[in-house]
Parts: sequence; structure tokens; C-alpha cells
Amino acid sequence: MTAVTEQVPKQQPPVKKDDDTGLVAFIKKPIVARLLFPTLFIALWLFVDGLEISKVFPAPDRVAQFMWDELRLETLARTNLYETLGLSLVRLFSGFAVSMVVGTAIGLGMGLSKSVDAFFHDWVMAILAMPALVWALFLGLVFGFGHTGPVLATILAGIPFVIINVREGVRNTPRDLFDMASAFGVPQNRMTRHLLIPSLMPFMFAAARYGFSVGWKGLVLAEVFASDRGMGWMIKFWYDAHRSFAVVGYAFFFVVFAFFLEKFVFDKIYERTFRWRPSAGAIELVEEEVEEHFIDALDPEGASTLPKQIRED
Amino acid sequence: MTAVQERQEQPGKSAEEERLEAELRREKQRKWFWRILGYIVVLGVWELSSGWVLEENLLPGPIRIIQTFPEIVATGRFFSSFGATLTRIIVGFGIALILGSAIGLLTQIKWFENFFRDFQTVGLTSPGLVWALVGLIIWGFQPMGWIFPIVMVTFALVSVNIAEGVRSLPKDLIDMAKAFGTPQHRRQREIVIPHLAPFIFTAVRFGFSIGWKVTVLTEVFSSNEGIGFEMRVSSQLFQLDVFFTWVLSFFVFALFLEKVVLQYFERRFFHWRQEVSTA
Repeated sequence: MTAVTEQVPKQQPPVKKDDDTGLVAFIKKPIVARLLFPTLFIALWLFVDGLEISKVFPAPDRVAQFMWDELRLETLARTNLYETLGLSLVRLFSGFAVSMVVGTAIGLGMGLSKSVDAFFHDWVMAILAMPALVWALFLGLVFGFGHTGPVLATILAGIPFVIINVREGVRNTPRDLFDMASAFGVPQNRMTRHLLIPSLMPFMFAAARYGFSVGWKGLVLAEVFASDRGMGWMIKFWYDAHRSFAVVGYAFFFVVFAFFLEKFVFDKIYERTFRWRPSAGAIELVEEEVEEHFIDALDPEGASTLPKQIRED
Repeated sequence: MTAVQERQEQPGKSAEEERLEAELRREKQRKWFWRILGYIVVLGVWELSSGWVLEENLLPGPIRIIQTFPEIVATGRFFSSFGATLTRIIVGFGIALILGSAIGLLTQIKWFENFFRDFQTVGLTSPGLVWALVGLIIWGFQPMGWIFPIVMVTFALVSVNIAEGVRSLPKDLIDMAKAFGTPQHRRQREIVIPHLAPFIFTAVRFGFSIGWKVTVLTEVFSSNEGIGFEMRVSSQLFQLDVFFTWVLSFFVFALFLEKVVLQYFERRFFHWRQEVSTA
């Protein structure tokens, strides 16, 4: 009995190779698995559309038509897709820049001094846990429609992530390396360049990534309530115009934009920044660290269940 | 020999320990001093800015908010609003939890990991507002109109957390179970699920922290009761004191659920597991 079970795995590899030409093997390919999901989604969408349950249900062809029109600048709205996205991006980047600079400063302070940490900690957590909706509604009433509200909302949404990640990065600097460097009389500026910055890099990267994506979510919401243009306002505009196909079409633009950021911006920056790291395995390791960090940033007190997590308090 | 050494070290250590303890106590005191100072400064700046920097109607101070609290309780809608929002969170997030866990468990198989990867990315990266509006325009005020956005925003977080647990599954135990011919369902129940339990708890907590925000957001657009609805009405009426009182009371309540109640259950659930409960 045991002899048989032992034999089975040994026989499997050649069987798999034989299957490579068949349909099963085709479906088993990773790329096919990935593409199958959107395909099934579109198939389901077409099927539900074919049932004709309701008149407001967004038909795939109308959504596609709308998106194509938007891309060709034919729109009923006040600003076309590119202007809208451009305006939102300007707001996003200005807010993001401020939250990176201020957040890094506060994060460095909190990482270096326990008193500064105690001073800010609870309030950073409070801002982190505050829904972006609150900022959007409040800033809309205070500043009216304009750039101030959305940019401030971006800052408020993104800054806690930056602070927490930078703080954690400072705490995780390799002290033994610093000790060794000072024992060998390495000058301060070289120490900063070769020790502090590289060891902070993964955390800065995590800070930027999550600060950016959370800032984007905050911005979009603020544009609905505190602005009269921008991506967030525009999807609300189509909602108010009761064009379901336009809302869904705009939602796809959001999805495409997020994908573009993930795959072509962050992943590329990441590869460039960590090119010096020796092996692909090391990169994976850091990615895990970053991922965990995201979780940690979301809820630093609660991360205790993660096995690798070491909490001081 | 070793006993003698230990005895010799004992008094020296205790003196050292005392010194350390005193230092720790001093450090703790300093920490609390700065913490309280932080509270005083932030609340003070907030209280002073209302009236000085911004009009009191625009930025009500903390004292004003505490005064408004009994007023909104007196309206009688306080508990029903909390109840309505909580019901939505429980229903929407419950569905997301089931879906997210199922996807997370399926990622044990490489094929499904690829299959769901882009779906998860979409769920993690797209703003909740988009799903709220899409759900609303398709389903209107039907339950699906608010269930859809809550699920879309939270399921990915749940599944990613569980997938993280899946990645760290004890391969040796599973291999051993396989070698002894343990059937699949028993392997799942006795190795996979216990190993994943802490990850599931973490997923619940993170999911909840995101989930209640999205729930409130959907209520702003599509509800006639609940915290989001009260927020919308009070902000439209320019009653920012009422607005902040609603927001902050639910904010405190949500944080209480998240940090105290869920963490308490987690600790109780895992107190038999040394490495988890002490970590």
C-alpha cells in the first residue's frame, strides 16, 4: 500500500509533460488563469445583460462606447477625461509631496525620540482611523469648492501611513552596523548615505506606496464634496445624470488607473530602487516585509497575531 | 557548581534589576508626561482654533461637541442609527468575510492564486466611492446597493491576509499528513484551519476597520437612517457641531469594537497558544 503511494509522485512529472499539449495543460498555465477571470467576468456581464432584468443595468456595449468616446475627447461633461485626470493628479501629487515631507519629519522624530513618539502616537492613530469621508465633508464646508479641500484631504489621508512607516524604519536601522562604522571612523555623511538611507529605503517605499494609494482614495472622495471638478467629481456627475453606463465606464477608468500605478509605476520604481540587492529571493523577502508593514501601518497595535511581528509596547 | 554561581549572581542581579526597574519607571513616567502633554496641546489647539482661526460654526471645539452629545441622544435617533449602521456592517462585512476567506483558502492552489490575483488588486486599489456609486446605480436602494461596495472594498483585504497565512503553512506537517494518508478534509480541518486562525482574526480586524468606513460612505448616498445619513443631513444643514458629534461618537464606538472587543476575543481564543498570545 505504502509502496504504491510512494510510486505515484514519482510517476507524475512525466505524465504532466505529456499533458502539455492538451486543453487541461493550457488552462493550467498561469497566464491563462489570470486572463480567465476577466473573461469570465465579461461573460457573466453579457449573460446578465441578456436577461434584460432592468432598464438601468449598464449594457457592456454602451459602457464600451462611452469609454471609447471619452478617450476620443467626445464628452458631455465640462472637462474631458484627460483634463479631469490631469487636474486630479496635480492635486494628488501636491498633497502627496506635502505628506511625504511632513510625515517623514514627524516619523523621524518619533523614531528617534520616545518622548516625541508618546506625544504624537495617539493622534496619529486617530487620524489614521478617521474615515476620509469626514475630511471630505468638513473641508468642503470650510474651504468651499476649490483646490484647498481636496489637497488637504489627500494630506490628511496619506500622512499617518508615512509617519508610521518612517518611524518603524528608523527603529529598524541596524545598530550594530552603525556601531561598527563609528568604530572604524566612517564620517557622518558616508554613514548616512551608505547605512541610514539604504536601511530606511524599504520603509520609505512602503510609506510612499500606501501614502499614495490612500491619498488617492481620500482625494477622490473629497472631490465629490469639496470640489466641482476632478475624477471623483466626474463619476458623481455621471451618477447624478443617472447614466449607469457612464458610471460603470468611469469605474473602469479608475480600475485601469490603479492597475497602471501598481504594475507600471510602483513595481518599476521598486525594481530600480532595489536593483542593488543581490538576488531575486531577497526582493521577495522585502516585499513580504513591506506587505506586513502595510498591515502594521493599518493597525499597529493589532498586528500582534502576525508571527514575525515584534511589538515593543 | 552551577547552583553556587546562581546564588552568587542572584544578589548582584537584583541590585541591577532594581536600577533597571527604576529607570523603566522613570521612562514610563516620562512617556506618560509627553503623552498627556500631547493630548493637552492637540485638544487645546483645537479648542482655541474654533472661534479664533475658524468660526465656531465651522469648527466646533471639543467642549461644544461634548455638550452636543446629550442633544443627539435626546433626539431618539441615536441608538437606532447605531443599530442601522451596525446591521449593515455585520451583513456586508459578513458576506465579504465568507467570500474573502474562500478566496484566501483557494489560493493554496497555485492556479487559483493566479486566477484571483487581479481581482484582489482591483479590490485593494480602487476607491470605495467608485463601488458605492456603481452599486447604487445598478441596484438602487435595494440591499445589494450597499452590500456590493462593502464586499468589494473589504474582501480583498481579508483574502490577502489569509493568503499570507496560507503562504506560511507548515509544509512539513502537511507532507507528513499526506504521507500517513490523511484525507484532504481532515488535513484542512486539523492543520490548515488552526494554522490560519490567527490570520483570520487579523483579517477580521483589518476588514472591520475598513468596512465601517465604507458602510458609512454608502449610507451618505443611499440611506434614510444610520450614521452616514446623519452625517449627510447635518453637514447639509451646516450644523457642524452635530456632524462632529455623530462622527466622533461612532468613531469612538468603532475603535472600541476594533481595539477592545475584537482584541479581547482574539486573546481569549488564542490564550492556549503561547507564541501568538505573548507576541
